[in-house]
Amino acid sequence: MSNTATTTADTTTTTAGETDEQLKAEWREYAFEGEPKLAVEDLNVHYGDDHALDNVSLDIPKESVTALIGPSGCGKSTFLRCLNRMNDRVSSARIDGSVRLDGEEIYQDGVDLVELRKRVGMVFQSPNPFPKSIRENIAYGPKKHGDIQTGLLARLLGRADSDELDDLVERCLRDAALYDEVKDRLDDNALGLSGGQQQRLCLARCLSVGPEVILMDEPASALDPIATSKIEDLIADLAEEYTVVIVTHNMQQAARISDQTAVFLTGGKLVEYGDTDQVFENPQSTRVEEYITGKFG
Amino acid sequence: MASATERSLVRGESSGGDLTAASAVGLAGIMFTLAMVVVFQQLSLTDTIAGVRLVGFLGVGLLALGLSVIGLGVASRSGVLSATPRASAGLLSGAVSGLLWAVVGGLAGARVLGLGTVGWLLCAVVVGAGAASFTVLTREDVGTTVPAGAFTALIGLVVLVAIGPSWEWALGWEQQPASLTAPITVPAMTLAGSLVGGWAAAVAYGGFGARGRHLGAYLLVYLNAGTIVGVLLVLIGFTVFKGLPGLFRGVEVGLGVGRQVTVEHYLFLPFIDFAPGVSLAFDLPFKWPFVMAGVSLTNDVNGVWPAIVGTVWLVLGAVLLAIPLGVGAAVFLTEYAERGRFTQLVEVATNGLWSTPSIVFGLFGAAFLVPRFANQKSILAGTITLGFMLLPLVVITTRESLLAVPDEYRDASAALGVSKWQTIRSVVLPAAIPGVTTGVILGVGRIAGETAPILLTMTGAVALPANQSLNVLGSFRFTATPPFVANEALLQATTALPYQLYALITAGVGQSSNISDIDQFRWTTALVLLVVVLSFYAIGIATRYYFRQKLTHE
Repeated sequence: MSNTATTTADTTTTTAGETDEQLKAEWREYAFEGEPKLAVEDLNVHYGDDHALDNVSLDIPKESVTALIGPSGCGKSTFLRCLNRMNDRVSSARIDGSVRLDGEEIYQDGVDLVELRKRVGMVFQSPNPFPKSIRENIAYGPKKHGDIQTGLLARLLGRADSDELDDLVERCLRDAALYDEVKDRLDDNALGLSGGQQQRLCLARCLSVGPEVILMDEPASALDPIATSKIEDLIADLAEEYTVVIVTHNMQQAARISDQTAVFLTGGKLVEYGDTDQVFENPQSTRVEEYITGKFG
Repeated sequence: MASATERSLVRGESSGGDLTAASAVGLAGIMFTLAMVVVFQQLSLTDTIAGVRLVGFLGVGLLALGLSVIGLGVASRSGVLSATPRASAGLLSGAVSGLLWAVVGGLAGARVLGLGTVGWLLCAVVVGAGAASFTVLTREDVGTTVPAGAFTALIGLVVLVAIGPSWEWALGWEQQPASLTAPITVPAMTLAGSLVGGWAAAVAYGGFGARGRHLGAYLLVYLNAGTIVGVLLVLIGFTVFKGLPGLFRGVEVGLGVGRQVTVEHYLFLPFIDFAPGVSLAFDLPFKWPFVMAGVSLTNDVNGVWPAIVGTVWLVLGAVLLAIPLGVGAAVFLTEYAERGRFTQLVEVATNGLWSTPSIVFGLFGAAFLVPRFANQKSILAGTITLGFMLLPLVVITTRESLLAVPDEYRDASAALGVSKWQTIRSVVLPAAIPGVTTGVILGVGRIAGETAPILLTMTGAVALPANQSLNVLGSFRFTATPPFVANEALLQATTALPYQLYALITAGVGQSSNISDIDQFRWTTALVLLVVVLSFYAIGIATRYYFRQKLTHE
């Protein structure tokens, strides 16, 4: 497999193609117990003429942490945003291939995007709470989905779920390890929280709609080391219940928190995927080795 | 000047030079203020200050300012003053100095030497070029101070020696016998002299170089901003000063002196089950004729109540029409439409609509709306016309504030599976409200004072008696036939403050009407208009503040 190092995006020789095929077959056979939570096959994304993701295939096991690493512009964020179809919002993006969630194709007609995004939640790079109170931030999703009713009509009809709402807010904040810090000021504006607290609030907000998969796009890159370590601990806890896919620039972070790691390199190619220990200690591709040891990227 | 001084981080204790420069700046400020006061005729040139006539005071002040500025420059050049001048004052200073001195040269050529057209033009060019090259070619301290100081001192000298309070210069234009007189010329020259001298003194105070230039620019910009505040204060102050005496004429406070107010049964209906037709009447405990009366023969003091009512309904109606339409259009353009030809077209159309002269809107209203509403001028036609005028500004400002809402909010909401419309309604629009409010305030300020459109679409008699003021709420009736609601008041021609003011000033309406003190009445009407517009403004600011607080503090 060591000749993968010479495989670049523009070589189209038969040997290189075969190598790719072999690698892909191997990744698909990446051994884990049970069915994959997310199965990605031959995913290609173009932004106009720019080929952002090149034939990516990989399976993500459930209730684990999968880290996506790679240099800037290698397509890892694009890949992440394909998993809950957030790339649909980019008008220039063209997406081919297949992504299956619990065996069900998400790129087909008739997919309920509301349901998909409830099941596959997302936390963004910079904390982006709404300019509302902490309580409102968490109640926002469930309210909009009609799961919790607090409107005037509901109150008039005596159907308001204020107890459920309080429970939900507390549970989500506890899961995001934020409750004790903010329990006395749930009605304060979320923009008054610190950066790390805001990011955990965003996580709590994401948990409020009951996701199965949580996508994180460099969730700690805008935070200081203490806030980062809190988020990392949190991710480890979350993996017991949720499937976490995290994009990160920080290789130490990937090594610390993830169960398996996928390495993307320039050109939107997935170059290596496997157990985190194996990827970091014994990478099969010399380019990955060079990237991990900091010689390039 | 040792290099150690030049490079020292902390400036030394204030020296005599600093003190001179600072007092020169102060003197320039005093001259500027005095000139402004004379321009607004609060002091006359022949008034005396400490036994000296004002015109002499101005002359001596400018002379002293100019000479001290020159002194500062020379002191710096000869090394007495610690300063860090550059090699040249720069091209911009050179150009300004050249222009100023060209004016001086031309005037001197024409007036003092009595040269013909070619002669004074030549004189202006030579003097201007000389001053410009002197400014550019000498070291900064001399180049800055000497032309500026000499200019200021020369003005002082001219004011002192050549121009008395009764000086007059007939311009000799054939068609128009115009002339310059001392009360305008002297303060104008003083303004110019104090600005130039003050700038040079500020540059000298900063020790020339980067810091000096910064201080010079700071002084000019500061005076600029101050002038704007001054103009606003003078404008409002003048109107208040002229209008206030009429405002409180005939005010009485006491039980039962005021107008009878009737609260109709329909206002109770939601709360108390009154029999139809029953209404409650009581007398107001005060009487304020100018605000609460109209114009009629039997009034002791005439008032503008019908015009106030007309203005308020007009503005409310226009805002109610423009906000939903405008916000809707802006939401469509920013959130739904793909950027392309169509959105660009709409953008151009919106900007064009905003720049359309108001009289064109008025003409459109008169030709299109008036024939369709019972073929008579009406408040409805006026409101719709003004609503159309307000519409483009609402669209523009709403678009801008929607674009300013961070995309992160939209992403976050979409990632929760919330639909686009729900996102817009509960996240994007609330975050944009402060901006929208600002736009509406600006627009209301414009339309509330607009005369031309309502002149053509809405107004009937100029000055109405109080009992003919609009009664929009009280005129609602349910009818048996479609559209099931009728409101005659909306189809009634009425008056509004700006129109009433316009009509009373022009067309001789005032002279033939039964308003006794017409001049006082106009000014007080203007004051009331100002207050009404400013109260809309205040409501807008309060709204914006409320929503901003809600967004950031909750």
